[in-house]
Amino acid sequence: MFRFLIRISSFMSKEWTEILRQPKLILTLVFGPFLIMFLFGLGYPDQNRSLRTTFVAEDPGSLQGEMKVFTESLSPSIVSQDTENNKDLALAKLALNQTDLVILIPKDPFGTVQKNQQAKFVIYHNEVDPFQIAYINSVARIYTYEVNRRILQTITEQGQQGAGTVQDNLESAIKKTQTLKQAIPPGDSNAATQVNDLEKDLTTVHDQLATFRSMGSSVLVNPFTVDTTPISSIQFTPTEFFAPAVIVLLLQHLSITFASLSIVREQRSGIMELFRVAPLTALETLIGKFLSYLLFEILLAGVITALAVWLLKIPMLGLWTNYAIAVVVLLFTSLGVGFLISLISETDTQAVQYSMLLLLASIFFSGFFLDLRLMWQPIKVLAWSLPATYGIRMLQDIMLRGASVPLLLVEGLALIGIGLFILDWILLRRRMESQYS
Amino acid sequence: MNLTKNNKISGDIIDAHELTMMFGEQTSVNALTMKVPRGTIFGFIGPSGCGKTTTVRLLTGIHKPTSGEVTVLGKEPIHFSKSDREKIGYLIQSFVLYPELTVWENLNFAASFYGVGLLSRHGRLNKLLEFVELQEDKNKLAGALSGGMKRRLSLAATLVHNPELLFLDEPTAGIDPLLRRKFWDFFKELQEQGHTLFVTTQYVGEAAYCDLVGVMYEGKLLMVESPDALRRKAYGGDIIGIKTAEWIRYENRKKLESLPFVRGKVKVINDQEIELIVDDASTAIPALMEATKAERINIETIEPVSPPFDDVFVKVIEKENTKETPNV
Repeated sequence: MFRFLIRISSFMSKEWTEILRQPKLILTLVFGPFLIMFLFGLGYPDQNRSLRTTFVAEDPGSLQGEMKVFTESLSPSIVSQDTENNKDLALAKLALNQTDLVILIPKDPFGTVQKNQQAKFVIYHNEVDPFQIAYINSVARIYTYEVNRRILQTITEQGQQGAGTVQDNLESAIKKTQTLKQAIPPGDSNAATQVNDLEKDLTTVHDQLATFRSMGSSVLVNPFTVDTTPISSIQFTPTEFFAPAVIVLLLQHLSITFASLSIVREQRSGIMELFRVAPLTALETLIGKFLSYLLFEILLAGVITALAVWLLKIPMLGLWTNYAIAVVVLLFTSLGVGFLISLISETDTQAVQYSMLLLLASIFFSGFFLDLRLMWQPIKVLAWSLPATYGIRMLQDIMLRGASVPLLLVEGLALIGIGLFILDWILLRRRMESQYS
Repeated sequence: MNLTKNNKISGDIIDAHELTMMFGEQTSVNALTMKVPRGTIFGFIGPSGCGKTTTVRLLTGIHKPTSGEVTVLGKEPIHFSKSDREKIGYLIQSFVLYPELTVWENLNFAASFYGVGLLSRHGRLNKLLEFVELQEDKNKLAGALSGGMKRRLSLAATLVHNPELLFLDEPTAGIDPLLRRKFWDFFKELQEQGHTLFVTTQYVGEAAYCDLVGVMYEGKLLMVESPDALRRKAYGGDIIGIKTAEWIRYENRKKLESLPFVRGKVKVINDQEIELIVDDASTAIPALMEATKAERINIETIEPVSPPFDDVFVKVIEKENTKETPNV
């Protein structure tokens, strides 16, 4: 047992010494991720993109001087740049990226509506990014809604004004009805009943008009509004939201890179032949390497997290113990992937290529920036075979929601890690203990 | 470091019988049979690619033989236990230690994976560094060492666990003659301490430092002999050199060739110098002195000649090739 521990320790001191002998590498490992998060925060402030907009009114006369209804302060996302009456000129500006949107105001919009037809805005853009196109579609809907609301509000206000005259006439009619009621000879009950009913109806209409006039035009046009509120009281900036995912991706990538180069280098240098002859088993080698990298990366994760939380003010709503459990399981499994790459690679270049491919797969399939719920079901299998997918979920839940360790996720990830460890052990045993035939 | 006290078991430490290793259709080691006595320096000599390293790998359990039997330390190498492996030291041909680690760190790493205890380690490593004369360089990065220093470091790493049996695969390849000599001094010292050394080399001249020499050629072990016996076998007997004060005539040479203990023809070195092969130099020299006296040849010197092992090796290979192609 004592010799077992000595043999394991050989790799720990060797790997640590090799890493610590490279101060530039350590600085890169610690400050690189921190710098990435910091620059990401600077680069993506918490605000929507404003779109420079050119309005085109080809027939300004038909707008009855109501141009501002269509162009002024309609949405914070639409910034009126200028107004043109030549569509082609505006589209040329759009093609040259001198403007972001061109809104074509319909000809004679009010006349069209009065003819019981819908007046249609046409919005041109020059985007190719599907996310930006979706954003513009959303902005277009908000713009149309706002124009409709303004026009309806104006019409309602005009209606309320008109209702005042009608109300005065009704009051006069009610008074006349009351005079008529007094003029009915006693005993003519039929006539009295009819005049009473008329007075009642007129009073009801009068009261309804009074209610209509007393209501605010905005309430009449927009009787319902909506307010979305997260359970958590904290609103996250994009940096804060992405920070756990960035930490996970970096830790996974570092683990995989370290481990993937480790065995393949020894295989190439020839020292593996010495290990085969020495009283050293594959299990001792693997445990020694796992422990050395795991301990080093736990330390690295600690420093990166501390910098993120205390310097970049990334929120940490959950418990540190939960965070630590999630990170250790993530690192353990990522190392398993790294050693697997190392054991199936023939050269350093191959190992680096596999690691980079895995990083790309993690960026696209782990839910780093595309929601996993949008993913096609069979591809989700690939997504859930990546340690980063589990890591991102766990760290977002712990850091941003204050949740405890999601048991299913941590157990699933640990299970993959154990499976990989066993697979690595079998492959390393083959390399170290089996003979060439 | 000294093994002598513990190494009381005599006999053969390596025993191979008809050991064969094939890689596909290619035979790398062909029916190798040999015994290596404990406590000897066994030189395994042959040109590059003749199967020396494959043999070492068979003996260390890296390769599983295609056929044949082999025991090392009384066990089949492919079934070595951990304790068996602790008795073996293996020096690989190329430098395989870590260039980013210092001399001391590399040795410490080797000591750890051989399971050397922490308490005794410090003293042992210092002794080894003294032995290979790297004490002054222990804090240097291995990558910054010269070729010879790297070899010495590798040798020290092979010795950290004080192994009983050392497999040294071309330890002197690519290093200068002075350092090669020093290495053989190390090996002699190790032998005196009780270690058994199995040393492969393509420097045929190094055969002289060995107790036993195995000559390998194209996968076959041609012979295992002591260096002297190897010479004798290569030339068919001992070589005697005769130097005279005057010209040796043809008739004199013919007379000497006709003597019953003289093998083959007399080799003329120059007008006053000849070499001849005899059955046994110790009995042949007095007889030759008598014969030359009778022929009135005035001898200046008569003594056994030791031809360089390069020549011996060439002779052995020539003999082998003649055996293989009798019709040519």
